[in-house]
Amino acid sequence: MVLCAALLAEFCLGATTIPVSVVADALLSFDPDNYDHYVVLYQRLPRVLIALHAGALMACGGLVLQGLTRNPLASPTTMGINAGAMLFVLAGAYFLNLGIDGRGAAALLGGMFGFATCLGVARLAGLVQDQGGLALILSGALTSMLLFGIANAILLTDPTRRTDFLGWVSGNINHVYADQLFRIWWIGLAALALLCVLARPLTLIMLGTDKAASAGVNVRWVRCLALLAVVLAASSSVAVCGPLGFVGLVVPHIVRPFAGADLTRSLPGAALVGATACLLADLIARHAFLPAVVHTGLVLDLVGGVVFALIVRRYYLTAGRRASG
Amino acid sequence: MLVVEDLAASYGKDMVLQQFSAQFRQGQLTALVGANGCGKSTLLKAIMGFLPVTRGMVRIGGREASTLGRRALARRIAYLPQANHCPDYLTLGELVRLGGYARYSLLGGPSEKDRRLFYEALETVGLVDMVHRPVNSLSGGQRQRAWIAMVLAQNAEVVLMDEPVNHLDIKYQYAVLELVRSLTLNHGKTVIAVLHDLNLAAAFADEVVMLRGGRVVAAGSVAETITASTVAHVFDLRADVFRRDGRLVCLPHVAVQ
Repeated sequence: MVLCAALLAEFCLGATTIPVSVVADALLSFDPDNYDHYVVLYQRLPRVLIALHAGALMACGGLVLQGLTRNPLASPTTMGINAGAMLFVLAGAYFLNLGIDGRGAAALLGGMFGFATCLGVARLAGLVQDQGGLALILSGALTSMLLFGIANAILLTDPTRRTDFLGWVSGNINHVYADQLFRIWWIGLAALALLCVLARPLTLIMLGTDKAASAGVNVRWVRCLALLAVVLAASSSVAVCGPLGFVGLVVPHIVRPFAGADLTRSLPGAALVGATACLLADLIARHAFLPAVVHTGLVLDLVGGVVFALIVRRYYLTAGRRASG
Repeated sequence: MLVVEDLAASYGKDMVLQQFSAQFRQGQLTALVGANGCGKSTLLKAIMGFLPVTRGMVRIGGREASTLGRRALARRIAYLPQANHCPDYLTLGELVRLGGYARYSLLGGPSEKDRRLFYEALETVGLVDMVHRPVNSLSGGQRQRAWIAMVLAQNAEVVLMDEPVNHLDIKYQYAVLELVRSLTLNHGKTVIAVLHDLNLAAAFADEVVMLRGGRVVAAGSVAETITASTVAHVFDLRADVFRRDGRLVCLPHVAVQ
């Protein structure tokens, strides 16, 4: 109950910072014509919606992946989904001249490709059986680097179109992506709904596959559906605003101590905190370095990198102490 | 009643269970004993359908287990694996609530009756006060009782336990097995438990099944099964088996004096 109230407060805080920022932005706006209302409606609102969409989806995706792999470092970023989605969108735009309509489909295919590659590399390495799921993370990192490399190569082939994608590639919440959000939001929402329906069996799977199966969970089905939902969620987020790193990795660790491990509660919690995190990151990106405006993705990467190090420290470097204590 | 007929199961190419037949009667605690790798855990997994069963069948309440779906099977048979790990921050109450999963609808939660059952389960294991505590903050003995509470919340007539007292100190070994015993006596559960300690098996079990190399060596009451000759055969161990205050004791010989 206290946790629910805290989450609600968290949400209200996010919600109240939105109007405050909207007003502040409207006043500080670069728009020379001072069309405040125009700015709020066509720039601020899309940005808020994109942040909510991306933050909620990435955070929930990370939460579920961390539960399924039982690895605290799992997330759409570290398991190749984001890189795959990004590569396919770029490749589609450069080689097939895909317009904005094709971008969503390309991202979904790419997300699946990236995740499948990650699993494939892990299996090739023959380390899938290991308990910590570290092999998956390592192969995910490998896959991501490879796909990012290819994506950068593609980006460099055509200098004239490079600027179109340069911001997007590093993950940016920008009102011009609203068209894409308008086309694809329902996929993200559907994926989120699917995850919420699966929350209870997924929590059981976190206790171990045999335990879950003995309690009545069809483990294979639940796992496949959940992974599909995660890939759809992360890819649709990438399609809109590029790969926002680290939300999916970090937010679950913030949520769990408060919302607990039961996904029926931590999933909504992650959605709220993830959305809030993206909004805050966007605010920081736009205002902390004035007059320069940095990309949201860069801020998230900066913050996320530090937290990533802390997680590694807590779970891997102190594992011996935890085990003996 | 759980009936296993001519069951054979394998991990990959290795046959680890062959021609296993047994009947497990309601309200009885059956101990599975045998050396490491003799097929005890495999038997439990084969009953749960986690391993490909190459021959034979498992019948529960007159129905063939392999024809039941996961949920239907979960309402009849509960299973407590050997090593259980709980995610951080999951509370005892949440763990017990997950035990009732097989009775929930897709979006619905526990009913009033389920909640009563959860409370009774916690009462039975003596952890009502701990309901909001994270499972990982409990002591070893409490944790094992927490898992048993989850199994009770599943409300299945048959309970399979894989080494339920492994890693517990001797006091908790007896406490947990007394609890398991009370499940059979007071709740009418049929419990099949893998036990390593023959003295524990002798103290608590109604029936003992001894396995060696995936085959049954002896099955029956404690006095019939645990003898110096079966212990020698199953464990390659010379031991004295005698009675003390009405209880069977198995005392292995020690080579070095």
